[in-house]
Amino acid sequence: MSDTVDKIMERDIDPATGDTSIANYTINFGPQHPAAHGVLRLVTELDGEIIERIDPHVGLLHRGTEKLIEYKTYTQALPYFDRFDYCSPLAMEHSYVLAVEKLLDLEVPLRGQYLRVLFAELTRICNHMLNLGSHVMDVGAMTPNLWMFEIREDCLNFFERASGARMHSNYYRVGGVRQDVPVKLLNDIAEWLDTRLPQLFGDAISLVAENRIFKQRNVDIATVSREDAIKWGFSGPMIRAAGIPWDIRRSQPYDVYDRVDFEIPVGTRGDCYDRFMVRVEEVYQSARIIKQCIQDMPEGPVLTLDRKVGAPKRGEMKQSMEALIHHFKLFTEGYHVPAGEVYVATESPKGEFGVYLVSDGTNKPYRCKVRPTAFSHLQAMDFMSKGHMLADITAILGAMDIVFGECDR
Amino acid sequence: MRAPAPRYAANDGVIEAAKAALGDMLVEAKDAVGEVSLTVVRENLCDAMLALRDTPGLEYQQLSEIAGVDYPQRAERFDVVYQLLSFTRNHRIRVRVTTDEEKPVPSVTNIWPVAGWLERETYDMYGVLFEGNDDLRRILTDYGFQGHPLRKDFPMTGYVEVRYSEEAKRVVYEPVSLAQDFRNFDFMSPWEGAKYVLPGDEKAPQPEAKGAPTPATAAQVAKADATPAASQAAQGKDTKTTDSPAQTGAGQPHPGNQPGEKPKDPDVVPTKGEGQNK
Repeated sequence: MSDTVDKIMERDIDPATGDTSIANYTINFGPQHPAAHGVLRLVTELDGEIIERIDPHVGLLHRGTEKLIEYKTYTQALPYFDRFDYCSPLAMEHSYVLAVEKLLDLEVPLRGQYLRVLFAELTRICNHMLNLGSHVMDVGAMTPNLWMFEIREDCLNFFERASGARMHSNYYRVGGVRQDVPVKLLNDIAEWLDTRLPQLFGDAISLVAENRIFKQRNVDIATVSREDAIKWGFSGPMIRAAGIPWDIRRSQPYDVYDRVDFEIPVGTRGDCYDRFMVRVEEVYQSARIIKQCIQDMPEGPVLTLDRKVGAPKRGEMKQSMEALIHHFKLFTEGYHVPAGEVYVATESPKGEFGVYLVSDGTNKPYRCKVRPTAFSHLQAMDFMSKGHMLADITAILGAMDIVFGECDR
Repeated sequence: MRAPAPRYAANDGVIEAAKAALGDMLVEAKDAVGEVSLTVVRENLCDAMLALRDTPGLEYQQLSEIAGVDYPQRAERFDVVYQLLSFTRNHRIRVRVTTDEEKPVPSVTNIWPVAGWLERETYDMYGVLFEGNDDLRRILTDYGFQGHPLRKDFPMTGYVEVRYSEEAKRVVYEPVSLAQDFRNFDFMSPWEGAKYVLPGDEKAPQPEAKGAPTPATAAQVAKADATPAASQAAQGKDTKTTDSPAQTGAGQPHPGNQPGEKPKDPDVVPTKGEGQNK
């Protein structure tokens, strides 16, 4: 008997309950994990299968872009923005060109503004296809992802036809867009919005939206209250899912967003399912905006005619000495931006994407700070997943819509 | 504002309201490029932020962003810039404090928990210290990274580079070596305050300015102009002239391209072993 008691004492068994006291278990989620959506390392402390604490380690994709931009002219800095959130490149460019235009106090031709809004919304569809698809795949469904990738492929083809590049378009310019689009492209987009998009997307979503397993994995997972959403700096679908009808396109309209009609979906519970459904509805609203853009778009120039900022066309350069000089100056020295500072935030598909630009009056930005959407969302990972199961991490991450190009910069 | 940037509520009366709410915590308030910037006393940052958040008529509920900016020529070289957003008033405002490498900035993590990572990033990039942030680790740079990369005196190329070593069978860090010199082109127009003397302008009175390496500085150009004879004499025998037919190689039994006779080409580095031309 006494032997048994000794053994129990040695093995640190609590005789009152009979339970063994166990230490918390710490695991690494990532950096190489298919559901981490890139290079994310989550140091996760588990009590059994319950998450006690999560410490996200980010920065594995840090490329020092902000430093690089300080050494580039304003024109040369633009392609770096495609590489921030590489799933919605044009939305990233949008913030930057608006910031530079604000410093320059530059007018943009109406057709240029319409084209920017059109392609920003196409980017939103493209981004949501990737996010919604990978979200359903993270929680176990396969087919919707394949169908949504079809839509994404269509979007990328449209980008290619407009800009020449599928992903890193580098299409927006300070003062408008690089070049006008062919009429056939607008017709094709309009037709696609009426046929393929609702068909494929509707089919894909019908498989999961009311699906019992999908709901079990998402409803009431990681609920966020309105107060928390504000305190933790949420934006975009994350804050709308928490029940705050905040959309920069509506509240602080830029380009021609005040001329188009659209609705802002808002969640009621603030859980992963709401975030998913907010994005689903945003796709339909984006399609609405694109249709209106195609309808209302006036004829005219797409890039500012201020030759101190907007580059002349090649045909013009063959005829005009002035144009040739402007072209040479714009592509060597670039344009000078008046000294000052602006913070311009737009509604990117993932949330508020801001650019804080400090100019010292030269042809290069003195400081270009990017406000990524993922930074604040990922920081909230700890309190959002506390008390949930290990398997819920993928659902929470999937519903956050994180891309490390912009998180780590 | 002619630019199509996001249009939020007007700035009218914001500075007055901020002045009333902040009192002597406010150092400077200005409205430039359509945006309101407040500079506040560093020690009172938390009080100022609470006042901006809770005073009716200001109501900046959300902290969007914290950015550092480096001005190395200033005594307090860093700006720490907070972007605040009001949902109810649909307005943005910018709050700024200045600091240097040592003086800590009060942390606002107790007001907005989102500041935790944003302050970590500012610390990582600039070395600004935040008092009250109990998790001030590096965030974006590598584990074990040294230095603060967004400071203006940190070279863009960095100091170390990383590669996988086949010999060591692991990732190794080495001092950075560039295959080609880092080129920082000077695009400034020479007519608008170039920092070097234009060729031909040497005799004009020059303002004192730092010289740029390319093109040649005024001194080099002047020296080359003033002493053509001396510079030629200095070059001496290295100057390539042909004085007699014997030097042309004419009349010799072989064309002068035997291995021993080849002139040394500074661009051709001899191989250590036996080259492929053996």
